[in-house]
Amino acid sequence: MKKKTVSRFLGLALSGLMVLGVTACGSSAGSQEAAADQSGGAAEEVQQGTEDSSGDKIVLDVINYHVGTDYAAEYYTYLFDAFQQTEEGKNVEFHFEEIPTTDAFNQKIKLLISSGDLPDIVFNGGNNITELAAKSGKVADLTPYFEADPEWRALFDDTSLEFNTVDGKIYGVPVSKEISYIYYNKELFAQAGIEAPEVAYADWDEFFEACDKLKAAGITPVGMDTADSGWLTNLWMSALIGTNGDAGNQWMNSMYPTDFNTPEVTAAAETIQRMFQEYTTADAVGGKYDPMATHFFNGEVAMFPNGPWMIPDFSETEKAPEGFYDKVGIMLLPGNGMEMVPTPGDMVGAMEEEKIKAAVAFLKFETLPENQIKALEMTGLQPVSNDLEIPSALTESDPLMAQVLEIQNQAKVTYGQNQAYWYQNTIDTFSTELPELAYGNITPEEFCEKLSESAKKNQ
Amino acid sequence: MKIKNRGLWITLFTVPCMLLFALVYAAPIVTVFYTSLCNYTVFSPPEFAGLKNFVTIFGDEDFLKSIGNTLLWVLLQSTFHVTLGLVMALILRRKPKGWKIVRTAYMIPNIIPTAATGVMFTLLLNPSFGVVKPLWEKLGSDMGQVPNLFGNSRYAFWTVTFTWILYSGFNTIIFLAEMGAVDQEIYEAARVDGAKSWQVDRYITLPLMKNIFGTCVTLASVAMVSQFDIIYMTTKGGPGTSTLNLPIYLYKAATLENNYGKANAVGVVQIITGISLVLLIQRLFMTKAGEEDGR
Amino acid sequence: MKKTPQGVVYAAKAAKYVFLIFFTLIAVGPILWAAMSSFKTYAEINSSALSLPSSFKPDNYRAAFQYAPIARYFCNSVIIVGSSVLVTVALVAMCAYIISRFRFRLKTLIVLLISASLMLPAQAISQPLFAMFQKLHIFDTKPGLIIVYSAMGIPMSFFVMVSYYKTISTALEESAYIDGASFLQTFFYIILPLAKPGLVTIALLQFINTWNEFYFALMLTSGDSARTVPIALNYYMGTFANNYSALFAAVVMTVLPTIILFIVLQKQVVESLTAGAVKG
Repeated sequence: MKKKTVSRFLGLALSGLMVLGVTACGSSAGSQEAAADQSGGAAEEVQQGTEDSSGDKIVLDVINYHVGTDYAAEYYTYLFDAFQQTEEGKNVEFHFEEIPTTDAFNQKIKLLISSGDLPDIVFNGGNNITELAAKSGKVADLTPYFEADPEWRALFDDTSLEFNTVDGKIYGVPVSKEISYIYYNKELFAQAGIEAPEVAYADWDEFFEACDKLKAAGITPVGMDTADSGWLTNLWMSALIGTNGDAGNQWMNSMYPTDFNTPEVTAAAETIQRMFQEYTTADAVGGKYDPMATHFFNGEVAMFPNGPWMIPDFSETEKAPEGFYDKVGIMLLPGNGMEMVPTPGDMVGAMEEEKIKAAVAFLKFETLPENQIKALEMTGLQPVSNDLEIPSALTESDPLMAQVLEIQNQAKVTYGQNQAYWYQNTIDTFSTELPELAYGNITPEEFCEKLSESAKKNQ
Repeated sequence: MKIKNRGLWITLFTVPCMLLFALVYAAPIVTVFYTSLCNYTVFSPPEFAGLKNFVTIFGDEDFLKSIGNTLLWVLLQSTFHVTLGLVMALILRRKPKGWKIVRTAYMIPNIIPTAATGVMFTLLLNPSFGVVKPLWEKLGSDMGQVPNLFGNSRYAFWTVTFTWILYSGFNTIIFLAEMGAVDQEIYEAARVDGAKSWQVDRYITLPLMKNIFGTCVTLASVAMVSQFDIIYMTTKGGPGTSTLNLPIYLYKAATLENNYGKANAVGVVQIITGISLVLLIQRLFMTKAGEEDGR
Repeated sequence: MKKTPQGVVYAAKAAKYVFLIFFTLIAVGPILWAAMSSFKTYAEINSSALSLPSSFKPDNYRAAFQYAPIARYFCNSVIIVGSSVLVTVALVAMCAYIISRFRFRLKTLIVLLISASLMLPAQAISQPLFAMFQKLHIFDTKPGLIIVYSAMGIPMSFFVMVSYYKTISTALEESAYIDGASFLQTFFYIILPLAKPGLVTIALLQFINTWNEFYFALMLTSGDSARTVPIALNYYMGTFANNYSALFAAVVMTVLPTIILFIVLQKQVVESLTAGAVKG
């Protein structure tokens, strides 16, 4: 009797699970395929393809994080397909691993760096991956390929390549540039009776004067956050430092700073503290990006720092009210400042000559001027190459994007931002200590001291 | 006890478990202990360095703070939450109306992926549009700023502690299973003797729960020593170091500083803390083998 | 005995129910809230936590399927977690029994090793496991994850089971042996039935600890064949492109069947435990 209950328990548990598993999987198979079709690059299909005709095909392993709701998912689906239509690409089969979110992607890439199993094409999720991969010696030195193809080399400026160079060797192929500036809500500015500047406020005093007027009209002036990496606050702070004279600008353009106790950084921290206390929403402290963006979409916040990838959101009715796109204006940071950083480039983890060549061919394809333009159209990613000819159709269909392309030429100073230039743990310290700064639990000096301490842990 | 083929049975019953265990854990245990004594990063292989990593972490204020937070959470979790679960079980034991639904409901929070739970909490407790604001305004307009529960270091620790109430129902389920195993005749006898329900609970049920209470406390403590997900999804250890615990500190050392040697040193501390707690709790609660357990 | 005043009795009863209802709400609240949010738009989710959705269109559910292979990952989860529960319960039921009853060489070593692994950080395990799994060709397979999850469950289940076995009086076994029962008979007919509450506990524990496991599911797989629900949820959380609505739709779709499965199993399992008293 008792034995029966136990075996019945185990038996039932087992059969229950299996039945559920099998039936659910069987019935879901249909919708699953549909889902795969929609997302375009079903990994398995491709895998099967390789098995059928692996004879003369070169198989490249790729880990792709541009999947799911990623802003560039569609573009990369297009790109992989298009590459296989080309002369260099027709003999290449891709073997994909999908890892949604850069956070998860970076964790896995680090594991693969230390175990030596990097994929053939290593997408770059930021977070100092280039340096880690290069130091481990598990990615290919691409310098010879750049030297052998001057035309390709000419697509990139020195800053972009230097950013992807470790110990004199180029390891990453930058595919875009990152810029950011201020979006503002024309309607709210009108309500407060102020006129937005043509290009930018002349200095921060003027900027804060405008903030005061907005505030007096009952409008929250700026969007800020602290969670994740404190992206928006980071953009304000980088601007405050980067537009503060040569010293500040130089500091904000240098890789891996370890001394944060400079007059410029401290002054910026002080201003940030004031901005938290006076000019932003109650949920900025501890807040994540999405609710903050929604404040802007809903017309609750007048100014919002961000880059071009946000433009598609303005006309997406899921996110912003109908007609919001037309209310948005663009300006540079005070003193005609603009955040601009080269992006960490994609790398080659393949070891065999043949595969390296195929991977490089893909990276060349990815950086073709026409694909840079395609990326701009589909995702808002700014071309890495300067002076590309932008089709006039774009200016008509997306006037804000056209304005972005236009206004960046007016920037007098450009500077980096912490996600590109700081040590990863320092970015984290920035994010976790910002609330303390905002609530006045630590002084700006103490805040900077904590950043310095954290940066020094890397040495 | 005299058993035929005693050695054979011991071997047959322990070996499968130990084999599986060794397959997964043997190498890592050795690796963790050894590399905690090494310079070891993402891009460089381990190189012996003595106690350097331990000197580093014990010289780090943040690390000491993370130990403090971890132990405080162990204490809170193993007292408050376990007791809560026990009280619930005592109520449900009498099978009031709808008790089955309640019991099943307690499982739900455990099935919801933590990523989603984290998002939910950050939205619900958002000071601009969450549940706190309307409540706060009802209390009176002169109360000042709406408290920013995750964002202000004054509240963050307690807010995170509060989020675990979701999971206290799990203890209830464990207690219920144990209570179900109690001989019903004892209760019958008590009822015949005219014992009141609280007396039954106090003098019959509770003493029998000593062992399982110890188990729940052990589970809660171990869970707290290795607690990571919810903290990572909501505060990432901040603001400042107000919600930093050992696993988050370890994660930061490994993933943000890329310092595996240091991370594994933290791991060793974590292992030792955990084992000490388990042994301590066992000593406090567990009946020894073969002893009568008071039935 | 003094008679308790009627008022106090009612107050106690009321307090009991308030308590019960409060904690039930806390337990059910999240899934109800997720269900409500799964119909909201991005703007609605990120600007009000409590308002009702403006419409109840299933768009977000469609989006959930479109962005991630959620159904497939759910099946993987059920198979992987289900199997690991069975493996862990079976192995630990045997091993813990021996440890709780017998003295033998190596016993201390076994206990120490198991204790040490209890708190072993995932980061440290992933490296050696990754290498070994590739060598054994179980990388990116369901059996691979089942092995890891089962092993992961051993330490905790082991402690629970050892302490549970210790509450069972040895007198029963002794009389069984005197009656000439064999070791296996004693274990299966006498010990296991008595240990059911413990077995249920470790099964639940194992289920809960593995159902939401993310790290190994990510590190030890590379394709759709062995990935589980927690990974699927990541598909809705792209940089600057979170889709919480789809996320919560996916949560509802994965949690509900799990609860149903639970209720079905619980009826069979827990019921048989709580209903029948164990006669000592």
